[in-house]
Amino acid sequence: MSTVLKWIAVFISCLVLQSTLMNAVSILGITPDVTVIALFLLAINHGSLAGLYAGFLLGLSQDLYSPSILGQQALAKTLVGAATGLFNVKVMRTDPLLRMFLLLLAFIFHDSIFLIASVIKNSSSLSLLGKELITETIPRSLYSMLLLLLLYAWSYFVAPFFKK
Amino acid sequence: MLWIFQFIYRHHTLSSLFLTVILSLWMLSRSLDQQQRLSRTLMFSLFYPFQYATSMTGRIKNVFAENKKLRHQVAELAVRNAELEEYSAENARLNKLLSFKKDSPYSLKAAHVVIREPSYQMRSIVIDAGKEDGVLQFMPVVTQDGIVGKVTQVLRNLSLVQLIKDPSCRTSVMIKPSRAVGILETDEGDRYYIRLRSHEDVAENDTIITSGLGGIFPPGLNAGKVDLIAKDKNPLFKRVYIKPFVNFDRIEEVFVILLPPQWSAFQSEKDSLITEE
Repeated sequence: MSTVLKWIAVFISCLVLQSTLMNAVSILGITPDVTVIALFLLAINHGSLAGLYAGFLLGLSQDLYSPSILGQQALAKTLVGAATGLFNVKVMRTDPLLRMFLLLLAFIFHDSIFLIASVIKNSSSLSLLGKELITETIPRSLYSMLLLLLLYAWSYFVAPFFKK
Repeated sequence: MLWIFQFIYRHHTLSSLFLTVILSLWMLSRSLDQQQRLSRTLMFSLFYPFQYATSMTGRIKNVFAENKKLRHQVAELAVRNAELEEYSAENARLNKLLSFKKDSPYSLKAAHVVIREPSYQMRSIVIDAGKEDGVLQFMPVVTQDGIVGKVTQVLRNLSLVQLIKDPSCRTSVMIKPSRAVGILETDEGDRYYIRLRSHEDVAENDTIITSGLGGIFPPGLNAGKVDLIAKDKNPLFKRVYIKPFVNFDRIEEVFVILLPPQWSAFQSEKDSLITEE
């Protein structure tokens, strides 16, 4: 129960951070997505089932609060949560470098679904998808990977120092 | 039917994925209007408990603040109420005194009791009226209920009043119905009595008034009522116990009757005789 509450707190914090602080640290209009990072970490640690439900609820919350198409974020995050959960720690041991690569894939997967849903809903051209992936998704995933790297650096090097 | 549940249970991850994806796609397939309605409904049902809790927290906080403020006001009003009750009681007392002053045939000077003798047997009081107010020694002091005592010492703005509770204070009184005259005495201020001849007509609850023969109190002032009639040591007399009308423990305002003692007219002759001797 405490784990569930902890993750709920993490997701609420991430939603608040995403809509407030993240805009302030954007570089050339690229903003890291901490909600995807949090979902990725949850799915890696707790598996597909937790990942897909958390992704669905997190996505639905974002859909309700942001002026996007209802169900777009929910669908993208559900699938990302479920897919990332396949690489969870109970199934395979992954080192931080591999995890960062997985995060990159998760971002591309997430944005692809998001954009496909958007293209279908708005009947736009599919060429928009490739352009968005290159100009938006890749830089955002790299920025987010940097954040994940800092998080790992903190948990591997700084946090043990404080524990001692 | 059972096999469906068994399948869902066995493949719960897949079933969950299927369910959430179908739900997401269903939401996506709605028109913009329907999406907005659905969004509002979901917002209301999902976040209403949190919003309600937040607003309740705010309300509770306000209630606490209001409660604190009201407690403060209650304390203030309690003090104010006590003050007003005191004023009301004083007003009632002063009204009585005023009507007494109007009805009285004598010239009266109202005064407050400023000092009480600090002993259980209060024999004297100090009032805030003195020479400047026309008060002289041996002037009688009364309340609307009856006699209190006499002025024994006069200063500029204060006077010492010897109460009739003092055993050394003796007052000439009269049984009102029978006009039998006696001296009102007291033993240590606990009990007041008059010694009357055995044949004098007196009954319980008869009113006792001043006789005017002592030279200090004018005649007809209320002094008390007969409480008990008992035998005296001397068989020629009987002892009539009196209950005074004045409650000496509760005196706050008094009147000095601005009436010099009857013997003051002879005071200069008395003084000249002493000088000649």
